[in-house]
Amino acid sequence: MTAKIKRKKSLWKRLHENKKFVAAEAVFLPILLGVIIFLLWQFEGLHKILRTDTFVLPLPGRIGTIIVDNWSKIVVDIKATMIVAVLGLIIGCLAGYLIAVLASMFKTLMKSGISIVAAFNAIPIIALAPVISNWTKDVSTDANVRSMVAKTIVVAIVSMANMSINAYRGLTELKPFSEDLMRISAAGKLKVLYKLRIPNSVPYIFIALKVAVPSCVISALVSEYFAEYIVGVGRKIRENIVLAQYSTAWAYIAVACVLGIVMYALLMLVQKVCLGRRGSRTS
Amino acid sequence: MKKRLAAIPKWVPAVLSALLWVGVLILLWEMGARKMDVTKRTPENVLPHLKNIWNALISTKKVAGGKTALGIVMSGAGMTLIRALYGFIAGSVLGFGLALMMKLSGVVERLIFPYLMLIQMIPILGLAPIVLSITGDINVSRIVIAGILTFYPVAANTLAGFNSVEREKYELMYTYAASKGTIYRKVLIPQAIPYFFTGLKIAAPMAITASILVDTLQGDGGLGCILSQSLKHAMSIYVFWIIVFFSAIIGILSSKLMGLLEILVLPNKRRRRARV
Repeated sequence: MTAKIKRKKSLWKRLHENKKFVAAEAVFLPILLGVIIFLLWQFEGLHKILRTDTFVLPLPGRIGTIIVDNWSKIVVDIKATMIVAVLGLIIGCLAGYLIAVLASMFKTLMKSGISIVAAFNAIPIIALAPVISNWTKDVSTDANVRSMVAKTIVVAIVSMANMSINAYRGLTELKPFSEDLMRISAAGKLKVLYKLRIPNSVPYIFIALKVAVPSCVISALVSEYFAEYIVGVGRKIRENIVLAQYSTAWAYIAVACVLGIVMYALLMLVQKVCLGRRGSRTS
Repeated sequence: MKKRLAAIPKWVPAVLSALLWVGVLILLWEMGARKMDVTKRTPENVLPHLKNIWNALISTKKVAGGKTALGIVMSGAGMTLIRALYGFIAGSVLGFGLALMMKLSGVVERLIFPYLMLIQMIPILGLAPIVLSITGDINVSRIVIAGILTFYPVAANTLAGFNSVEREKYELMYTYAASKGTIYRKVLIPQAIPYFFTGLKIAAPMAITASILVDTLQGDGGLGCILSQSLKHAMSIYVFWIIVFFSAIIGILSSKLMGLLEILVLPNKRRRRARV
């Protein structure tokens, strides 16, 4: 009896070898944490930990009632913010992709164009927003329209940089054998573009969007601070804080979070439809 | 002739075309400014000539509080940037630590990852006054917010780095009978470092943005505070333009600085660069 008796695996280990359990845990654990935080918050445990009071950090129930009571007003702000965010995202991503396509075709001239666009990405949005809102003063006589245009441009610039960098990588980092195949077939530049480069760049577009979608909501919120016309979820957060109405501000913060999450969930859905099983490989 | 062309080092056309692009941007700006001179009553509010901004930068005229424009911007920048730096360091250390913890334990990863996504959805300026009232100090809240913003890209990228380790490397370590600590020290952490730096490159301009944004909340002379004062014409509008250019340049430089740091830290990247 020299052979060691094999110890039984612990319950913990056996559970984690079960795929179904791990999948259930991935859903269950965050929800549990969320519930704990929620309970701590509702019963003022969180206030004790952070040493604050219900005036600054209102109870979730109160935030909920404010959202319900002011829903008709909040909807107007949500619309204003979402139009800016989505329009800016679309314009910016299209422009960014176009730049990337041009750069992949005319490398020597356009490649540094990409680095200039990348530099745009590093410009703080705080510097950008007031300048753009100055520039668009003549666009329309209606303050609402011209602030809309200014905000959309800011969001577009932020999304553009991100998209062009990632799309450029997708358009140029090709598999060597595919490139060889194209050369053997004596394919022209355009043919390489739409047979090889553009299909190759699709997963990279989603990588870019994963950053661009949350940031388009945030940049829409921040650009509202500097806009002329007082509308939008971001602006309302600031206005209410200035007036020291913290619970209303919190209601708008909650709305902003939900907007971001909904946008991200939509993106995930689109990715699942577009990429299918390819998506899991890139992420 | 062809041989001569080949002798030109690779970076020359890249630099030339970059210069060309900068030239085009400057040209567009100046053309716009020329047009504003004719059509606007106060062109300096909309699009001043670059020359005038430069003149305002080097002039010795006192703008406000017995300081020149440059002096004001620099003192503000000092305050803002140092806090951004503290927050940035704290955020990146925490982000790296959390990524490590998430790699070490699958339970922690499943527990926290959805909340990591949530953090980046929360509007920062919305948090700022709340953080301010909790900490009771504008400086601390600036650091906290810069830290929160840095935290997400660093943690997410580092985790992606940990997860990018190929199966073969684990198998090699297994045949060496390497302990968990050794695997982390020799394989996982070195592999994650480039990803960590990618996170830093994204986070550095964000930390600066956050710090400037928090400045606009309270008037204690940070960059953002001066920026909003200047926009409301409490001082020369050129101060605003100087800050816009200054923060753009600092934002870009901060990202480049992280790239430089990466080359210093990672010897194999340095060698690859030298070979090219």
